[in-house]
Amino acid sequence: MGHLLEIDGLGFRYPDSPKMAVEGFDLDVSEGEIVVLAGPSGCGKSTLLRAVNGLIPHMYSGDYTGEVRVGGLNVKESNMRDLAQKVGFLFQNPENQIFMFTVERDIAFGLENLGVPRPEMRSRVDEAMRLLEIGELALRAPHELSDGQKQRVALAGVLAMRPQLVILDEPTSLLDPKTAAELVALVARLRKDLGTTFVVVEHRLDLLVKVADKLVVMNEGRKVIEGTPREVLFGDEAEAYGVTVPAITRVQKMLARDGFVSQDNLLSPGELAKALEGGTR
Amino acid sequence: MMWISGGFIFRRGTSVYHRLDPRVKLLISILMFTTTLLVRSVYELAGVLAFMISVAAVAMVLRRVARTMTFTALFSVFIFVLNLVFTGNLVTSLLYAVRFVAIVVSTSLFFITTSPDELEQVMKTFKLPRDVVFAFVTAVRFIPVMLLDTIQIMDAQKSRGLELEGGNILRRVRNMIPILIPLVVNSVVRSGELAEAMEARAYGAVAHPTSLVEYRTSVTDKVVAMAAVLLFALTAYSFYYILPAKFP
Amino acid sequence: MIEFRDVTFVHQNGVKALDSVSLRIDSGETVAIVGENGAGKTTLVKHVTGLLKPALGYVLVDGQKTTEMTTAQLSRKVGVAFQNPDHQLFSESVEEEMSFALRNFGFPPELVEQRVSWGLELFGLDEYRKSSPLVLSGGEKKRLTLACILAWDPEVVILDEPTVGQDSIQKERLVQTIRMLSSTGKTVVVVSHDIEFLWPMQPRVVVMKAGRIVGDGPAPRLMLEEELLDSARVAQPELVSFYQRLTPRPDSPFVDPLDARRWIEGRRSAP
Repeated sequence: MGHLLEIDGLGFRYPDSPKMAVEGFDLDVSEGEIVVLAGPSGCGKSTLLRAVNGLIPHMYSGDYTGEVRVGGLNVKESNMRDLAQKVGFLFQNPENQIFMFTVERDIAFGLENLGVPRPEMRSRVDEAMRLLEIGELALRAPHELSDGQKQRVALAGVLAMRPQLVILDEPTSLLDPKTAAELVALVARLRKDLGTTFVVVEHRLDLLVKVADKLVVMNEGRKVIEGTPREVLFGDEAEAYGVTVPAITRVQKMLARDGFVSQDNLLSPGELAKALEGGTR
Repeated sequence: MMWISGGFIFRRGTSVYHRLDPRVKLLISILMFTTTLLVRSVYELAGVLAFMISVAAVAMVLRRVARTMTFTALFSVFIFVLNLVFTGNLVTSLLYAVRFVAIVVSTSLFFITTSPDELEQVMKTFKLPRDVVFAFVTAVRFIPVMLLDTIQIMDAQKSRGLELEGGNILRRVRNMIPILIPLVVNSVVRSGELAEAMEARAYGAVAHPTSLVEYRTSVTDKVVAMAAVLLFALTAYSFYYILPAKFP
Repeated sequence: MIEFRDVTFVHQNGVKALDSVSLRIDSGETVAIVGENGAGKTTLVKHVTGLLKPALGYVLVDGQKTTEMTTAQLSRKVGVAFQNPDHQLFSESVEEEMSFALRNFGFPPELVEQRVSWGLELFGLDEYRKSSPLVLSGGEKKRLTLACILAWDPEVVILDEPTVGQDSIQKERLVQTIRMLSSTGKTVVVVSHDIEFLWPMQPRVVVMKAGRIVGDGPAPRLMLEEELLDSARVAQPELVSFYQRLTPRPDSPFVDPLDARRWIEGRRSAP
């Protein structure tokens, strides 16, 4: 058919702003891909994400040009009800997207809104809790949970709606490295088991580079770099745009230039050491 | 602030009382409240209070109710004095003061044993508009969050040299500004984020949303409700007909 | 300068947030406190300025017990930059915001003006002098809160998770600020779970786990202790992992990528 997400020449300007928040943006995302969106603060990432799930233009009006199509729907011409079933959005702050006093009721929130019959709702809520391994939290209150747990609850609420595409807005920012790694592993597993497509905005790339298919860098509302993580991180431009190139990748780049290792793959510290040992023997 | 939280904020419980249908709990509290208003003598009031304490004991919230009673009693001294000044009647002044305590306790009993989810269900039963019910439930859900925010804001401002203790009343009020403004701003930002999340989860997509949880009244609920109404009727009757004859 | 003596602190729910913690930070040191979320790092920080008081043991700041002073008094010497700037910005203008603490601490008006100008310039916020602090971007707000603290020139600066949500350019600027503070003799404490950000500064590292200090030493040594870091759920800097896989020697691992490259070239040329 086509791609799951097609952004064609998207441009958007907020009503009181003199400059474009997003300009001339093109991007295609295929089903099952994990795409990472990076760029310096204020580059338009948040605006872009909201143009994908429909908050722009349905909740935020402004100067809208171009087209966004997701799952066969034209975002501008569809309503939030239909879009919400295609695109899920995990916002940055887990606290401000949990409404209900009990976890399982919050996970059901979207389904209640859609009028899903109770038996189906029950099984979808249970399924979401199982996927995120939060079954034992079902009857707890949100203020009793840790940040990592709250995030899983919020994500469960998104997944319960069975979207084809899920947007994650800086999901690891509040997490410590180990918990963040667990979240990334979870995302990879969801992609594998459910075939869900993910668009992730992240600063902490070291965790995502292994699982991401595509890395897109934005600056001042425009797309400036697109490629596989390998291509982008080995390139010279990434650092100029505030993209945190992992330290080990910088080492690999330097060594590759001197011919000690190849640039075929992004290597982890252990892998890079092994590659070097192989060379000296 | 502490006694408000002690007196009106829900905390999970496992007693038989907690497990009653929230509408029955509401009924009981309303009947208690009404009984308090019908009271004419101190003996009757004592009886009502004794009953409330027993219910609190059954609900296993005795300590909290006792605390609420104590704090309310301190406040009701004011009512007592005021009444005494205007009527000169010691007995009726005492009556009004203690009645105030009883009213607060009867209301408190409902709120501390009823979860926000149950409150939501009660509101739905009374056919309140969906948006109103949702706004209420969400507000309650965020009370602990806002309390935490307030503490963090106070911590941050204290760390910038703001002294929150001591000083005259004017100074204290002025010192609340650095606390209130961030709190309000955060609330506004929070509302915006909640609105986005609501839209993203199709809020308002259908006119009649379904519900994950079902509240069915059990036989116990019906029995307790009937018993409560019966008890109330008997009490009211005795207050008006039997007791005045025996204790004029 | 800062001393914890057998400090224990218990939360309302009975959990020990700090369990017999003893720690001493001397004037002028740069210390990083690491550990997973919930290990007690922020609880520790709150004890320094008396926002929390120990259940057992005591905390000394510049020789005085924290229980004998108010937080406002302690903050004159210890500036804490909390994680969320939105919990403190409230003034009508940036310059007013910056003068808030100075006025609270009793700085005379001329000095206030001087300090405000200095701080605004240092952090590149001069253009926002008359703007409302609430319209600044996230990164600018963080710079502002730090500028506010440095304006009153505390001897100790504590940064609680300063890198959350920051891009690499902002992080680099932060590193420079920290180096600047250290070079002027200030005691700097950084609480962070971002190990990669901390590593190039080679600070003294204190590792916390479940309310206890489980590791304390210079970064080059401590970051080599894989088992310790693993049990505390602290990630090892990539360059350290790399170094460890390359050589069994426990000496100074690479500080930055150039170090690594030089070392490898050196090894290659020697037969």
